[in-house]
Amino acid sequence: MLVDLPGGWSPLLGRLAWSQIPYANPILAPLFVAVVIGAIIILGLITYYGKWTYLWKEWLTTVDHKKLGVMYIIIGLVMLFRGFIDGLMIRTQQVWAVGPHSSGVFGSLHGYLTPFHFGQVYSAHGLIMILLAATPLLVGFMNIIVPIQVGARDMAYPYLNALGLWITAAAAALIMISLFVGDFAHNGWFEYAPIFEMQYSPGVGVDYWMWTLQLLALGTTLGGINILATIIKMRAPGMTWGKLPIFVWASLASNVIALTSFPALQVALALVAADRYLGAHFFTAGMGGNLMLYTNLFWIWGHPEVYFVILPAFGMMSEIFPTFSEKPLFGYMTMVLASMAIAGVSWLVWLHHFFTMGAGPYVNTAFSVATMLVGIPTGVKVFNWAFTMYRGRLTFNAAMLWAIGALFLLLVGGLTGMMLAIPAINYMVHNSVFVVAHFHSMLLVIVYAVFGSVLYWFPKVFGFKLDEFWAKTMFWLFSAGTVLVFVPMYMLGFMGMTRRLEYVFNTAWQPYLDVMELGIVVYTLSVLAFIVLLYVSVRDHAKNRVGADAWGTSRSLEWLTHSPVPFYNFAVLPHVNERDELAWRREHGIDHVRPEHYDDIHMPNNTGVAIIIGALTFVLGFALTWRIWWLCIVALLAIIVLMIIRSFRGDPGYIITGAELQRMEEEAYRREAQIADSHHIHPVSGGVVGNAMAYQRNDSSK
Amino acid sequence: MSHSAADPTMHPEVQLSTSKGYFLGFAISAFLMLVATFLVTSHSVPPFGLLMVISVCAGIAVIAQIYFLLHIDISEHNIWNTVALVMFIPLFLITIGLTWWMFSQLYLRTMDMSVMSSAMQPAVHASATPGMADMPGMNAHTDSGN
Ligand code: HEM
Ligand SMILES: [Cu+2]
Repeated sequence: MLVDLPGGWSPLLGRLAWSQIPYANPILAPLFVAVVIGAIIILGLITYYGKWTYLWKEWLTTVDHKKLGVMYIIIGLVMLFRGFIDGLMIRTQQVWAVGPHSSGVFGSLHGYLTPFHFGQVYSAHGLIMILLAATPLLVGFMNIIVPIQVGARDMAYPYLNALGLWITAAAAALIMISLFVGDFAHNGWFEYAPIFEMQYSPGVGVDYWMWTLQLLALGTTLGGINILATIIKMRAPGMTWGKLPIFVWASLASNVIALTSFPALQVALALVAADRYLGAHFFTAGMGGNLMLYTNLFWIWGHPEVYFVILPAFGMMSEIFPTFSEKPLFGYMTMVLASMAIAGVSWLVWLHHFFTMGAGPYVNTAFSVATMLVGIPTGVKVFNWAFTMYRGRLTFNAAMLWAIGALFLLLVGGLTGMMLAIPAINYMVHNSVFVVAHFHSMLLVIVYAVFGSVLYWFPKVFGFKLDEFWAKTMFWLFSAGTVLVFVPMYMLGFMGMTRRLEYVFNTAWQPYLDVMELGIVVYTLSVLAFIVLLYVSVRDHAKNRVGADAWGTSRSLEWLTHSPVPFYNFAVLPHVNERDELAWRREHGIDHVRPEHYDDIHMPNNTGVAIIIGALTFVLGFALTWRIWWLCIVALLAIIVLMIIRSFRGDPGYIITGAELQRMEEEAYRREAQIADSHHIHPVSGGVVGNAMAYQRNDSSK
Repeated sequence: MSHSAADPTMHPEVQLSTSKGYFLGFAISAFLMLVATFLVTSHSVPPFGLLMVISVCAGIAVIAQIYFLLHIDISEHNIWNTVALVMFIPLFLITIGLTWWMFSQLYLRTMDMSVMSSAMQPAVHASATPGMADMPGMNAHTDSGN
């Protein structure tokens, strides 16, 4: 053993021991029982209804980008809920443990969480929200929408897509199991050197954190490669770069960031692993280690990462505003350039997360100016959206409300970001809750855009709209919660309240904390409204069915095919004529044409390999965390062997014949015809209407 | 479109690769790593020289891997590889260059120069060398006496 392991180690179980199960913890033990009972009920129901084969065939082994995207989004929503519960716990601790006379329970002097537990809660909250909620939600949407928007039948690499999902799922499982087996890290979501070193954090918490993040980085990089390849190689005929839907551009910029920045994180984490597992001294204090180098490496990834998550959200807003303003997006070209500029500048600013390191006036000034430069392209975007709405025929449905809410939050977050970018201000408020309020404003832009997109694209994926009343109720409750939690937080930041306090020493802050607690209660109500929303919508789905163009004013290519989108996306690949293809076709009266003739198409097969490799990466992460070496070796070898087998076997795919395709298409048209406001659809010969081409010409051999 | 993609062995990068190339790439980088490891563990070169030699080894290894294992060249049919390379170079310069700049500025303000210079001498201090990034007040000062 290269490092000292306090608490013993056995060859069979590594550091794992019964004492690591927190069965005496008054919060975790009941939760564990609830989770087990819940799991038994769910598994029982699946068995009772005989859904195992359906689940395995249709979901767990699928390579269909839409289903994978839906599963990404489900993971994201589940983790969003888990992160929300963490947030609720943080707020409750802080409102309770104010001043020396505040009471304490469960072995805590003040409040109900000991400092060690409180540390785990906020660390898990941060990591989960940014990397396991926001990221899978956005990757899920890019997965579903990008291939349809570029007019492809699937991702460039369907199998890789499944692999990315299941590795992400493994990461989620790893952080969830840290609740019940051992502890999680307690030093914050981005950790600090040298406190994460073995002698200061001897438990398994840091290891859980490290391997969760490592798996996520891997899964997200794989997903990023796939989306980039899809955009570059799989565009439908006629879709030149200038006609690419704006969400695709945003995804492109975003995944360029992912592809270039995640390796920096992986290297940083590998070096942390070398310190903790091999006794190296990369980030130790002394012995040649350099502790600020960790912070540096982390934020080299960390800042690009925040733009990796905001750019797709910008893309979503850019789709929602035009649809409900009934106007094309204002300044398409500037929007594209702004996305690229943001991606570029995001690489030049990372030091603003540690101005207080003290690199001196030249360095701080340079990074301050670079940071403020980001405001220019961001401002361009804000004005573009405003001008898109200006003189538009606005529809204030729930999706639009979420998008407008995102716009307001972007202003608040962007302007406070600008303040933080000034070193003189930053020295005052760094590590205060002002920073926390800043980045929550920003990350809420993502949450708002995501909920807007859930409403906006739900009918495309599932074929019916969500209930407007409950969607709006949820929006207003959520927004009230946002105001109640974050306005007092900005104020407390100015008053000097530092972040991550498990005990609040200043009783004058009590009223603000009370308001924030009220806010989190209102947030809880909005979560309930979301559940009601799903229930009511599914109950009434027959009433809310939609045709291909769910909103009647949609503009881009994904609205051309049926809702729900068939698994092959497009029976005949469309020929793209203009930037907002559907809007253009509507204007020219060819939005309801259909092909006359169907050719055979080639689709990828399902595979069980991806989910098995995913499960093995989970085993690997768990075994590494607990240092069960034999299990690490077994899992790693199994992964490699499976990869080799899969590579040699390949996937020949399968053919859907033209006749079969025609049958499925006709059924879809028949279904659409039953929806009240649908139009008459007529076939076109040769894919040509007037002098415009509607479909890819099949006469030339491919 | 997906037809040409269906058979991975037809991709240009697969067509270009040979087992000899892979083996050569692997052998070169393994050899360079062994050399570097040997030099570090044996302390046979003074620290500054060591830094230089290791950097050169790393540079050659990177180039060998890029060429033999990743097949990144600047030919026409691998145009997207070239795009990736063109994007990589500025990012590499930014991350390494700015990191170097900020830390050199930091050391100007936080390093005890007497410690720095003693750290540059091999032998006696080698094992007890205080860390380069040690802030004043941390063990750099307490150690520097011995
Ligand atoms: C106009 C653009 C932005 C500017 C000027 C800006 C500026 C800053 C600055 C200077 C800090 C460091 C504060 C400190 O620790 O003292 C910071 C922190 C942060 N920002 Fe931003 N920011 C911007 C946009 C964003 C976006 C788009 C996101 C994410 C969606 C984001 C997320 C964060 C996060 C997560 C942190 C803090 C991380 C932590 O300490 O835990 N920011 N921002
Ligand atoms: Cu930043």
